[in-house]
Amino acid sequence: MSAASRIPIGAGGKAVVVPVALVVLAELAIRLTGFRSDSVAPPSEVVVAAIQALTDGSIARATGETLASAFGGLALGGGVGFALGILLGSSAVLDRLLDFSIETIRPVPPIALMPIALMVFGFGARLEIAVVAFAAIWPILILTRAAIAGIDPQLIEVARALRLGFGARVLKIVVPAILPRVFVALRLAAGISIIVAVTVEITVNPVGLGYAIMIAGQSLRPALMLALLVWIGLVGWAVNFLLLAAERSLFGFAQPRARP
Amino acid sequence: MNEPRRLKEFAVAADAAPLIEFRDVGVTLGGQTILAGIDLAIGRGEFVCVIGPSGCGKTTALRLLAGLLRPTTGSVLYRGEALTGPRQNIAVVFQDYARALLPWRTAAGNVALALEALGVPAGERAERARALLERVGLADHARRYPAELSGGMQQRVQIARCLAQNPDVLLMDEPFGALDAMTRQSLQDEVLGIVAATGATVFFVTHDLEEAVYLGDRVIGLRPHPGRIGIEEKVALPRPRDQLTTREQPEFLRLRRTLFDFTKSAKS
Amino acid sequence: MTRLAPVAWRLASLAVGILLVVLWQRIADARLIPAVFLPGPDQAWGSLVGGFASGTLLSLLLATVLRMIYGWLLASLLGIAIGAAIGMSPRARAYVGPTLELLRPLPAPAIIPLAIAFFGLSDAMVLGVIGFGALWPMLLATMHGFSAVEPRLYEVARTLGLSRLAVVFKIALPSSLPDILAGMRLGLTIALILAVVGEMLTGQDGLGTWILRAARGFRAPDLFAGVILLGLLGYASAEALAFAESRLLRWRPRTR
Repeated sequence: MSAASRIPIGAGGKAVVVPVALVVLAELAIRLTGFRSDSVAPPSEVVVAAIQALTDGSIARATGETLASAFGGLALGGGVGFALGILLGSSAVLDRLLDFSIETIRPVPPIALMPIALMVFGFGARLEIAVVAFAAIWPILILTRAAIAGIDPQLIEVARALRLGFGARVLKIVVPAILPRVFVALRLAAGISIIVAVTVEITVNPVGLGYAIMIAGQSLRPALMLALLVWIGLVGWAVNFLLLAAERSLFGFAQPRARP
Repeated sequence: MNEPRRLKEFAVAADAAPLIEFRDVGVTLGGQTILAGIDLAIGRGEFVCVIGPSGCGKTTALRLLAGLLRPTTGSVLYRGEALTGPRQNIAVVFQDYARALLPWRTAAGNVALALEALGVPAGERAERARALLERVGLADHARRYPAELSGGMQQRVQIARCLAQNPDVLLMDEPFGALDAMTRQSLQDEVLGIVAATGATVFFVTHDLEEAVYLGDRVIGLRPHPGRIGIEEKVALPRPRDQLTTREQPEFLRLRRTLFDFTKSAKS
Repeated sequence: MTRLAPVAWRLASLAVGILLVVLWQRIADARLIPAVFLPGPDQAWGSLVGGFASGTLLSLLLATVLRMIYGWLLASLLGIAIGAAIGMSPRARAYVGPTLELLRPLPAPAIIPLAIAFFGLSDAMVLGVIGFGALWPMLLATMHGFSAVEPRLYEVARTLGLSRLAVVFKIALPSSLPDILAGMRLGLTIALILAVVGEMLTGQDGLGTWILRAARGFRAPDLFAGVILLGLLGYASAEALAFAESRLLRWRPRTR
């Protein structure tokens, strides 16, 4: 066995070794060979560019724009998805009747709707919110519907035994029962929302992080471009992490689901 | 009484050299001594049953024979040579049959896996798999997937797969523990029938004292912490065994009593 | 109520769909929404038929489909091979796994500026982006599948004397197939999206370019025709994979 396996590195150490080694290697390789290109920059320059962009507020602004559109669309699409999910989950008749229509509309890639939104709204936040909303409907609809279907029938019996009215039944039994799974759906949809928002920005919309990264690439600033790339990844990761933490603290009692 | 018993070589039929030998075998894993000072000789064609409370190391002993584990001290010999890994003529029947079968293959497919490992040409495999399933009474279920079979049937598929290896030695790790009493009894008789037909040597681990006496030529009892041999009883009951008459024999009852007392004392 | 035959429900569901289309037609006819934004289904249909009759739409559709499939296949082969290799080695998993997992939330389109810098606005760039984007879900899913093989089966393989290659192809691979197929499904969705985005950015022939141009020219019927086609493409590819999945995973116990 190699010597490396005899060095006691903990699990955390092992996870970090490869990326750190790659970064160091990249830095050395680029510096030593004097390689210059429009697409590659040494990690040190990337860090410098990142700090610059952070301090002059450009990243903050772009991030704000992207997240505003993403979460705006999430709220809109999520709301529609949630309402539909409850409706279809509660009524088997409605569910079956709308099955064909939903299954026909769902496969349309959200990005394909972007030109329509562009035509209607022109450039700007509304374009993004519209496309994100369409994308966010489906995960929330499907998981809410499944959550309703998965309510322990005994809970419904309890509601009946206690003679709860419709409103009380929804508020006190249904909503708390489905909330953990709906929250998971929300987390998933949040990830999707960010990705779709950035995609729209990269493709046409001149706002936000996607636009920033395209501009950095076009103006031949590889360090900034790479810095933004890393930043976008970080934002996505951070949102997921925060929502996961919220999920755990709010619904710690619910069964922990493996990462999707 | 607390010393490990040293057993004389046990000769069966005309073959005097033991097929399997444990020589002062000890196993330590993760700081715990699971087995210590095991000396055991098993002759060709012998049916040895191993009992003992949880933690006595009987499954570990089986895994040593399966070649899945190497002893920390001492040596495990098969045909006079130290076992360094699994052998194709030592077959293992695991207790958790559901996890030991490939869920994406039919019963016949699972049996065929052993044939593939042996290098049997593709054309012959289907026929031989069917024949093996027939021996365990599952010919009609050859095309079923494990999920569609009952626990007893799944265990029989595993047995059929083992038979595909034409094994000299059968290692069975509490194979019937998770099955209901009726299935257990019918499978016990099936195993006896197979062993009688093939002359295989068997190392059978079980919790069930009566099962051990019913099936075995010899019953070994292990004490835990660390695992060592505490008792050894020869089972002088006539073969073929019968679920009703054998279990009523005075010798059966005597053995049962002796082993029961042993187990109680071993647990403390 | 739900005792009606499934076929009857399918038909009823279809009827509801048709009803919605009729509603759409009414709204369009009544000009409740400006015709330039919402063409009637008759106009969209007209554009579809015309486009196919002239062969334009068919060749555009084909271009998008081929792009999507090439990129996806490439990503599949690479993703499965690498994922398998990493998944089967606990050491590789410990060293590389966490980094890969961290890359999961990275939107594949964010790679596009980098790809443009490398390949320019070319077809190669689009294919590269599709391949890259579709690679990750497949690699991660395969890695997960290979790392989660029932350990007892490995012991069975050892006692049977199976060769290392046999263990990979007869035990690890079939065991990981559900995960791999799930990854491929996700990869296909991503491939379609990236194909469309790539086309929109580079102007390469395809449905993506077509609908973007239609939008810029305010040609709503063409735009809707294109969107409908893309929806059909998404549907057909998902169904094809679902069918393949059901055949390959026939052995799964029926859980409902």
